[in-house]
This record gives sequence, structure tokens and C-alpha cells, in this order.
Amino acid sequence: MAVLVFPGTNSEDETLRAVRAVGLDGALVHWSSPEVLAQFDAFILPGGFAYEDRVRSGAVAAHDALIDPVIEAAQAGKFVLGICNGAQILAEAGLVPGTGPLRHPTAAFAPNASGRFQSVHVHVKLAVAPERIPILAGIAPGAVIPAWASHGDGRLAAPTDELERIERDGHCAFVYCDRDGNPVPAPNGAALDCAALVNRAGNVLAIMPHPERDAWTFNHNDASRDAARGDTQAMLAPSGGIRLFEHFARALRGGVPA
Amino acid sequence: MSATRTFAVTLTIPDNEAFTAFETLSRLGIALARVGRADIWLFDVDASAGDLAATIASIETIHNPNKHRLTERSSDRPAPGEVWVAPRDEAPATLVAGRAIAGVRTIRRRTAWRLVDDQGADVPSAELVRAVESFLCNRAFQVAITA
Repeated sequence: MAVLVFPGTNSEDETLRAVRAVGLDGALVHWSSPEVLAQFDAFILPGGFAYEDRVRSGAVAAHDALIDPVIEAAQAGKFVLGICNGAQILAEAGLVPGTGPLRHPTAAFAPNASGRFQSVHVHVKLAVAPERIPILAGIAPGAVIPAWASHGDGRLAAPTDELERIERDGHCAFVYCDRDGNPVPAPNGAALDCAALVNRAGNVLAIMPHPERDAWTFNHNDASRDAARGDTQAMLAPSGGIRLFEHFARALRGGVPA
Repeated sequence: MSATRTFAVTLTIPDNEAFTAFETLSRLGIALARVGRADIWLFDVDASAGDLAATIASIETIHNPNKHRLTERSSDRPAPGEVWVAPRDEAPATLVAGRAIAGVRTIRRRTAWRLVDDQGADVPSAELVRAVESFLCNRAFQVAITA
């Protein structure tokens, strides 16, 4: 498992920590070493501000040499997960929703409707049938995952006909919801209240909120954190957003749980 | 009675964003020697706007005199050879840095790009279009405006 690092990426360590917590063998791969990517089975593009998000969030990285082998791997069916800035890069690369030519995006994670950077705790709910998203093997129908949304450009935007296609063909993998799974408006004004896009084959997932930042009890914004006070082992236990990585790991094991 | 006044803000220090755009466009095979970039501010103003240039020059969110040059333009359209990129679903703002400007009704922003070849001339329009469609503008949520 390769965790890609561009100049300006800032979530690689917590992402790698989550990857290793679910039993995967992960390594950081920096932008100067695209040639080593061929040896990896799967890829995660973590959050941050690749190339300072110059020109447009994810736009420069989507044309970087480090993405060439990722595109090749995605087309060969390997699993690719993008989180936050990684999701923006995947959209700019045309890998999600994947309805147009490569690097000619048909959708974007555009500036938030508020015009401001927002950092809020959210929940997201699986909005497609589990079989539609093999990158998250074994995920339950309607699964709810907590995460921290932390972005300035997270609003799904696309022309009307493309949004209809995204909805009709099940490209919106997760929608924003409350902790019980009830729909809530996207905090960033995203079309379809969509938090994540998946490609047609279901092997490329681009999710805006950060599950890796809510993957340990001490990260949680609920009573479970309060209940763990005084119990170091419970406080440091993986939970919540780690489930997304568990399903990802299960997909890499051919659907076999750890 | 309202009118649109157009201001361009350029960097007087090296423009890292323009340089990064140059690097990426070069990687895409577009032959060019330099990329120019400017922030374009369009102000719809009424008669009470007063000395708008002086007001804008004093708002550091727009213009920091230590690193920016502020120029008023005579047109609210791109110059020949230039392309402006703007949000498709733009809702014009009424505030800058949380404050209203006297006499200003709405504010819109664009990013202006100019691609220059090794002779100092604008690149051919076909190359500019290729740069726009392949990199400078995401048609999913942006529009490109040319002269």
C-alpha cells in the first residue's frame, strides 16, 4: 500500500497509521519517486494542499508524474482511495466519477458554498449498494462512518446532466448524515449532499471528510471519548473512522476479513 | 446609475503560482516561455463610490503594497491574448474581508492568465485554448472568458 506524498500533503502520517492499524503493509512514496509505485498493490492519496493547491485544488498534482502510474493502476483495477485533497486530485485526474476522458474532469470538489475553509465533525452514510463499491469489501448497507470534514473546496459541483448521471449511475458513494444515518445538508453545500465519489468499477473512491482523523477513540466528538477518560487503552483504541480502512484492507485481501 | 470598474492585481515578487502553472503546461507539451497571472476584481459601483482605487489600495486582502501592483483597467473584458477563469455559478459578493465598500454594490473575481512564447508574444490562440481546456479551467464548475 502506497501513501502518496506531494509537496504540501499534510495527512500522510495519520493515514499511514490507520493503514498499519488494519494490518496493511504501507509506505510513504514521495513525488520524486514515481518509479517505485509499480511495486504497490493499492494507493492512498491523503489530505493536505498539494502544490499549495495552486491554480485549483488538486489540479497541479493531477498532472504530476506521480499520478501517471496511479491512473494506470486504477485502469487495471487496483484500488485507489483519495481523502480530501486526494479526492480533489482524483476528480481533477478524471478518475472519479470517471465518466469522461482522463484529466478532463466532469465534476469537481469546488470551493465551499460558504466561501470559507470549514472544519466540522460529520457522519457519512453509504449511499450505494455494497456490491457497487468493491474497494470497501464487506461494508454494510447504509453504513455510517464518522469523520472530520476539513476543507475549503469540498462542494461537489458539476453540470446538471453530469449530476443526474452521478446520481443515476451510483457515483455518489457517501452522503452526509447525522450519527443515526438521517440525511443532513452537506456543510459545504455539495450537490446531492454528496461526500464521496466512486468510479464505475468501484475500485476508485474519493472521499472529502477525513476518516483517518476520527479513527481512534480520542479523536471522537461524542460520549465514547468521554467514557474512555482515565482508560489509556480504551482512549487509544481504533474505532469509528477506522472502519473505512478495515473494509479497504478486506478488499485488498480478496474480501476476507482480518 | 451603476458602472463596472475593473482592477488587476499582480505580484511584484516572483509569482509561484504562475511558475507552477508554467511547469505543468510545459509538461503537457505546450510551448511557452512564461506564464503571466493576475487577480481581476470587478466592482459594480454607483455614484457614491468616491476614490475607489485609493480605497482598494488600502485593503490588504486585495492589495499588499509590499508585493502587489494595482492597476485599473479600462474594460471589464479580457485583453487580447488573455483568458479569465471564473466560477460558473458565481454569486457576486458584497463584502471584502468582511466589510462593505462605500458605493460598491457587488464584487466579482477572476483569475487572468496570459501565456507568452520565447519571442515575447502571446502563444497562438489554439495553444491557449489547449492550455485552458487541459489545465487552467475545470469546466465542471468554471468558465473561461476570452476577448
